[in-house]
Amino acid sequence: MIPRTRLSVENAGVVLASAVLITLGCANLIPTLAAQASLAPGASGQMAASSSSHDRWLHVRVTNPNSSEESVRVNVPLELAERILPTINQHRLHSGKVSFDEADCHGVDIRALLDAVRTSKDGEFVTVQNKDSDVRVAKRNGYLLVHVFEKSHPKKSQVEVKVPMKVVDALLSAGKDELDLVAGLRALSVQGDTELVSVKDEENSVRVWLDSKNGSD
Amino acid sequence: MLLAKLALGFCGTIVLAGTYTFHEGILRVDEDRRDGRHVHVWVPAAIVPMALHVIPRHRLERATVKARPWLPMFHALAKELEKYPEAELVEVRDGTQHVLIRTHNGKLLIDVTEPDAKVRLVCPLVTMEDVSEQLAKNASGL
Repeated sequence: MIPRTRLSVENAGVVLASAVLITLGCANLIPTLAAQASLAPGASGQMAASSSSHDRWLHVRVTNPNSSEESVRVNVPLELAERILPTINQHRLHSGKVSFDEADCHGVDIRALLDAVRTSKDGEFVTVQNKDSDVRVAKRNGYLLVHVFEKSHPKKSQVEVKVPMKVVDALLSAGKDELDLVAGLRALSVQGDTELVSVKDEENSVRVWLDSKNGSD
Repeated sequence: MLLAKLALGFCGTIVLAGTYTFHEGILRVDEDRRDGRHVHVWVPAAIVPMALHVIPRHRLERATVKARPWLPMFHALAKELEKYPEAELVEVRDGTQHVLIRTHNGKLLIDVTEPDAKVRLVCPLVTMEDVSEQLAKNASGL
């Protein structure tokens, strides 16, 4: 009687162990293979929105108004950019900061200029109008606004830049002759949905904007 | 009865080995050319970090030295991308050429379509992180 019971227990143990192994195997293999099989080329349009509401994405889109077959779309999570920038130490980029000198800016002290804009009240600071172009730099409702309109052919173009002043502050928080890009991104991530840059000319249209969607459509 | 037990044990071992081998998914490179040539390389992703141990040391060192400045970025990228399992990162269209870089199901997918060829690379993000860690360890030892 005792050996038979032992045999039953042994068999039950072997069957149970096998069942566990097979279940584990199926649980790991089937989703893997199913996932591999589901990677159809057209699947990108059906991507589930996995980002949570606090995720902020920077989108860049370049299109050609004359051709629907030419386009560039870049979607970058701000958090990812924040983490990656400090790891790049190449040329002028180091620890998430970019260094520049006067020569880069044709003698213009960018830092002093931005600092002056930052501390002044809302208003239009620069207005240049001539036969070739219109340039306007203003500060309004906590945003730095730059508008450039090139009238002359063939470079007829319109550039609109809208940067939150908090981002400008953050950029300037680095040392002299440096811009703190990571701090700038961090400041940008708490902003609402914003269109930052818009460039339109006869050949290309460029848009840079910020929102919570993980795709640009 | 004994034979059945042995078969069951053998099958269990196979399943266990298979589970471990494929637990990170599969690294895939597919190339389909218009002239009819097809190249399909499917490798269990878990093997890739292991393979780094068997690559001749001098070859790995040379690659590591070249890649060293970018290893921290590669590692951070692999680690961070895991937080975005479903995302379209880059898409470039230029006439008949199309490049799409995205993440799907925890894998990085790169699709390149040209008039005469289609190339697809599928790499589990976990594998990218493992490889970058392995390379960083090698780099620190140099």
